[in-house]
Amino acid sequence: MRKPNFYLLVISMSALMLTACGENEGESTEATESLSNDPIEIEYWYAFGDKIGENNEALVEQFNEVQDDIIVHAHYQGNYEDLHSQTQASIAAGNAPHVTLNEIASMGAFAEAGMTEDLTSYIEEDNIDLNDFVEGLMGNSYIGEGIYGLPYLRSTPILYVNKTMMEEAGLDSSGPETWEEFEEYARALTNDEGGVGMTMPVNIWFYEAFVKQSGGSVLNDDETEATFNEAPGVAAVEFIQRMHDEGTIKVPTGDEAGQIALQDFTNQNAGMVFSSTADLTNYLSIAEEAGFEVNTAFMPQNEQYGTPTGGANLVMVSGHPEEEKMAAWEFIKWMTEPEQTITASTNTGYLPMRESAIESEEMESLYEQVPQYKVAVDQLEYAGPRPLNANYAQAQNILNDAITSALIEDNQTPQEALDEAAERINSLLK
Amino acid sequence: MNHLWMTLRPYTMIAPALLVFLLFFIYPIGYMVYLSFHDWNFISPDKNFVGMNNYRALYDHPEFLQSVENTVIFTLLSVVITTVIALLLALWINKPTKLYGFVQGAIFSPHIISLVSIAMLWMWLMDPQYGLLNWLLELFGLPQSEWLASPDTALYSLVIVAIWKSVGFNTLILIAGLQSIPSYLYEAAELDQSSTFTSFLKITLPLISPTLFFLVIINVISSFQVFETIDIMTQGGPLNSTSTLVYFIYEYGFRFFQLGYASAAGVVLLIVLSIFTVLYFLLVSRRVHYQ
Repeated sequence: MRKPNFYLLVISMSALMLTACGENEGESTEATESLSNDPIEIEYWYAFGDKIGENNEALVEQFNEVQDDIIVHAHYQGNYEDLHSQTQASIAAGNAPHVTLNEIASMGAFAEAGMTEDLTSYIEEDNIDLNDFVEGLMGNSYIGEGIYGLPYLRSTPILYVNKTMMEEAGLDSSGPETWEEFEEYARALTNDEGGVGMTMPVNIWFYEAFVKQSGGSVLNDDETEATFNEAPGVAAVEFIQRMHDEGTIKVPTGDEAGQIALQDFTNQNAGMVFSSTADLTNYLSIAEEAGFEVNTAFMPQNEQYGTPTGGANLVMVSGHPEEEKMAAWEFIKWMTEPEQTITASTNTGYLPMRESAIESEEMESLYEQVPQYKVAVDQLEYAGPRPLNANYAQAQNILNDAITSALIEDNQTPQEALDEAAERINSLLK
Repeated sequence: MNHLWMTLRPYTMIAPALLVFLLFFIYPIGYMVYLSFHDWNFISPDKNFVGMNNYRALYDHPEFLQSVENTVIFTLLSVVITTVIALLLALWINKPTKLYGFVQGAIFSPHIISLVSIAMLWMWLMDPQYGLLNWLLELFGLPQSEWLASPDTALYSLVIVAIWKSVGFNTLILIAGLQSIPSYLYEAAELDQSSTFTSFLKITLPLISPTLFFLVIINVISSFQVFETIDIMTQGGPLNSTSTLVYFIYEYGFRFFQLGYASAAGVVLLIVLSIFTVLYFLLVSRRVHYQ
């Protein structure tokens, strides 16, 4: 046997040290001081970092300061999909959080499997005025007869335009209003040096909007059958395909597609991008650094304006003792109060959840100073809920692949690809 | 009495190990087989018995079939290429000098880095717009690649990462194998004026065949179970081009909450791996030379 390899040893040691350094970072600053009458400790899991994560941590910290009975521990869990699967697994393992977020199209899957609590009795007991919640945002809260979640960080997709590029190209910087104008804008912004008018990954949330704008819907009203392969749904794919063939729209693919679209827009390789209103503060600060101006606009109309709403509702995970459920409810109640929704909206660009918040002085003065915030609120007039079918997550995957293959692979027409997807999705929805 | 103890003693000795084995291997496998005949969402108290329906559904599920195909391609490519490169490297750097010692350490380093970090690193390298790899290709006037973003190249990109990660470990094990070959065999071959290639074929290869056998087996098993890089780098996309069996199981179990269906796919994976292992032992072990 040879003597141990010295370099191997050095490399192993340094790798171990790196790992050790990494681990310390994860330690959160949990409250350790003991209070006189043992407070109840509950767990809250949320999705997304950056400004959205900071907002969650800040609100939780504030909640822990303003009262002494409950301590909330907030934990980041990745994106919505990660959060959902972590929550699911933790429920099966019996160490679930008390409060978590459901992306609104997953409300049905969680409620119907009995993973989340019906909040109706809590709401009635505390006389919460549901009429103060913006009506367009409540659609995904009702599952059957019960209310399973309250709107928290909610959004609509909006159009972000690079005002500076628009002005250089001699376009009206308030943005295109119709699909035709949108196409013209994209054409005008496309140049020979690789710049495109628009960048957009295949995304079912945006697709729901296009179908709605064309006067159709993705699923029928009972959510038992796919209707996206009817004329409006096909028109939406054909519209993007036409622009893609012409080279005025870039369709990034892969796991990082959303990130690539963001880069295209912030590097000014694309003049327009659809994104959640939640990205507003991020876009504004990136644009300021990069030295261009950003404007926001409604998603353009075809036959009509239309968008789905998006984002997440606060839900209570079932199966916890009564005392902890009460604490969880107190936290949910506090988080959805007008003051907190104003804070969250200002921090991130998410919509304010309450009519009283929209009309508040704080929001009005913000809308005056930064009118970009107002667009998503105004667009709510044309917004509707997302499908609630428990198998919609899987249906979205199939639909996403069908649209991608029609756009990228070119071996199927949009009609063929959507028909095939509809057939498979129909068997899932029943 | 004494006789009884003598009979029982070995079983008592292995009882702790056996218990762990039963609890964490045999029981879950049994439970998975049981679940594969049911429809269950993880939470609901009732598991509906559905017979062979999950298996029948798998049989005409295009994504499942593609996952199997992807797994086979991924395994074949990564195992064959890794083994060949590792063998060549081992023959080349198996020299007792400081420089070669450093090279051995350097190529081993990917093995001890966490797969998650490796995945992140390669995502940067393979970024279609700002990645180092495309920059290099451009520098040499070669056409750029979409890497992970295109259904045509994503699986091969993952194969590259898998090879990079495992080649060092394989090389080191092979070097250990090479060093256990007694030098008098080569001296004798030299006296007989055997060419280098003949010595390799008649001495080196047979004598490291147990090591190669071991490496191929563990590489096949770990390739079949590839998951982390896919979860982080592609999530099975684009267009399912990188979805493998294990990722398929994860997706249906933990994202779509169809545990019975995911279990059925798990049983298929178990059967495929068992058949492969048995076949492998039957066919290849005869050719392996043990000293």
